[in-house]
Amino acid sequence: MKAKPTELALSLGVLGLGIAAVIGAANISGGSGYARVGPNVAPAVISGGLIVLGIWLLYEAFSGGWRNAIPDQPQDRGEHPFSAGAFIWVSLGLFAQMLLIHRAGFVIAQAALFTFVARGFGSKKLARDFAIGLALGLAVFLFFVKFLNVHLPAGWFEPLLGGAGI
Amino acid sequence: MAETFSSLLHGFSIALTPINLLWGFIGVLLGTFVGVLPGVGPALTVAMLMPLTVKLEATGALIMFAGIYYGAMYGGSTTTILLNTPGESASIATALEGNLMAKKGRAGPALATCAIGSFVAGTIATILVTLLAPVVVEVALQFGPAEYFALMVFAFTTVSAVIGSSTVRGLTSLFLGLLLGVVGIDSQTGRSRFAFGVPELLDGIDVVVLAVGLFAVGEALYVAAYASRLHEKLEQLKGSLWMSKEDWKRSLPAWLRATFIGFPFGSIPAGGAEIPTFLSYATEKKLSKHPEEFGKGAIEGVAGPEAANNASVTGALVPLLTLGIPTSATAAILLSAFQNYGIQPGPLLFQMQGDLVWALLASLYIGNVLLLILNLPLIGIWVKVLTIPKPLLYAGILVFATLGAYSLHQSLVDLVILYVFGLLGFVMRRSNIPVAPAVIGLILGPLAETQARRALAISQGDPAVFVTQPISAGILLVAFLLLVVPVVIRTRRRI
Repeated sequence: MKAKPTELALSLGVLGLGIAAVIGAANISGGSGYARVGPNVAPAVISGGLIVLGIWLLYEAFSGGWRNAIPDQPQDRGEHPFSAGAFIWVSLGLFAQMLLIHRAGFVIAQAALFTFVARGFGSKKLARDFAIGLALGLAVFLFFVKFLNVHLPAGWFEPLLGGAGI
Repeated sequence: MAETFSSLLHGFSIALTPINLLWGFIGVLLGTFVGVLPGVGPALTVAMLMPLTVKLEATGALIMFAGIYYGAMYGGSTTTILLNTPGESASIATALEGNLMAKKGRAGPALATCAIGSFVAGTIATILVTLLAPVVVEVALQFGPAEYFALMVFAFTTVSAVIGSSTVRGLTSLFLGLLLGVVGIDSQTGRSRFAFGVPELLDGIDVVVLAVGLFAVGEALYVAAYASRLHEKLEQLKGSLWMSKEDWKRSLPAWLRATFIGFPFGSIPAGGAEIPTFLSYATEKKLSKHPEEFGKGAIEGVAGPEAANNASVTGALVPLLTLGIPTSATAAILLSAFQNYGIQPGPLLFQMQGDLVWALLASLYIGNVLLLILNLPLIGIWVKVLTIPKPLLYAGILVFATLGAYSLHQSLVDLVILYVFGLLGFVMRRSNIPVAPAVIGLILGPLAETQARRALAISQGDPAVFVTQPISAGILLVAFLLLVVPVVIRTRRRI
């Protein structure tokens, strides 16, 4: 019987992860002489478990599919077809945040994240979204830095917020 | 008993100071506000609000967490009833009748029975926690490492294999969490494990980063891809909020029955709040004088599951506080909050930091009262929160959720890991792999490893130690049966 591609890929993924982890566990140097159970025992047991689970998942995939799986068609789950655009916009938002947070600072990074994610969810008012994101980021920044004494990068706002306690 | 009572009174004297009362109040308010947001369950609520407590001393922070914990749950049921989007599996049963009641214009009484039922169940369950915890502590003080290890294996089994739709997928999630748990410096030998030379990984992976990745980033990716263009219908809140005499008569027995169904499931630990909510639903349907109303909006069908959920979640504090074993994703994050304050829950906590424990227990009573007096009058505000358009809602959730993960160490690496966990959460949601076992495995795995190594050090390396001592052997046997019997039954049924 043929397995579904996603189930096959994920089952192999779990199996592969288990095998990689077994190799990794073997490379963890053993503990000092008196410790009876070294640092590599738990990783070995866990990766062994993953290999067994990977095989179990493969068996299910080839014997009629994973048990009690949810419907493959989004329509049957009450959802719309996969929207690659939406997925990519949200991902881009998170990448933009990673890129910006230590350069342009926290406020800009969160504003960019906000705008991209809103775009992914179908918003067309980019300027409005950016303004909301900026206000939200600034409010959070001031609250955390001034009130909670948590360090957050000021970035481009350094000249304005530099005295904000960092 | 008398000792328990005086300890509790002392706890109240700490929790009732104006400043601690204020933290409890803020906790309930924020917990409800965030919990109301569609797509945000209690676990994510606690993780998102954790950075807010950094400035508080331990007692104040824990009191605030008690408020957040309860607020988040109540907020979730509001969303469930008005929007029919259960934020967690334990709310599905409430959604069944609750949303139907709202469709019939009876949203007010549905929300009221939830709020009052949560109060009744929460208070009774808190009394039971108060009475039971010192007893469990007495027993737990006799436990050695082997017994602890066996208990943790039992918890692993119930949270991953017993609940959910598939044993193998639950276990896969658990083992992913366990694998993530060994990343970093081994606490006993100082060797690094699976850190790949990345210094940020040496400290290990924080459970908050995993929870935010799976619950917030993964959820946002999933909803964007599959449901961002759907419009769920928000039921209007019209008519009276108040329950009629008839509503009271039908709700009260349901609350009480559900409390005693839910509490044992939470405290044993028998794997989360999902099973008792459905058990309560089935019980009410069977006992109701109006079975024909089920499927059309029967109030018992809301009152029961909601109370069962609350009793079970409160009951889960027994293993968390007395044994240090979390049995839900939310409890796992609470445990990590405790650890951030250098508090390791367990029987010794009751002896060493009695003040703190009893203040926390007292604040649970206070939290329940605050919830009741705050939420019904503020229901108009919570309904407004539900009208936030999806793009702004999810953008806002991600802004705050990533902040929660980033502010832990101000590390870029955490943001990268967060996205990886987001992809993982997307795949798991798409393939119906539960995520809670991974979160529990991440935090409980290292604790289990420590206990196992201690037990083996005492037995001089003889692994038989786990099966030769009667208590540990008994617990492991039950765990093994829980794992194997359902699989065998299912396999035989297929043949």
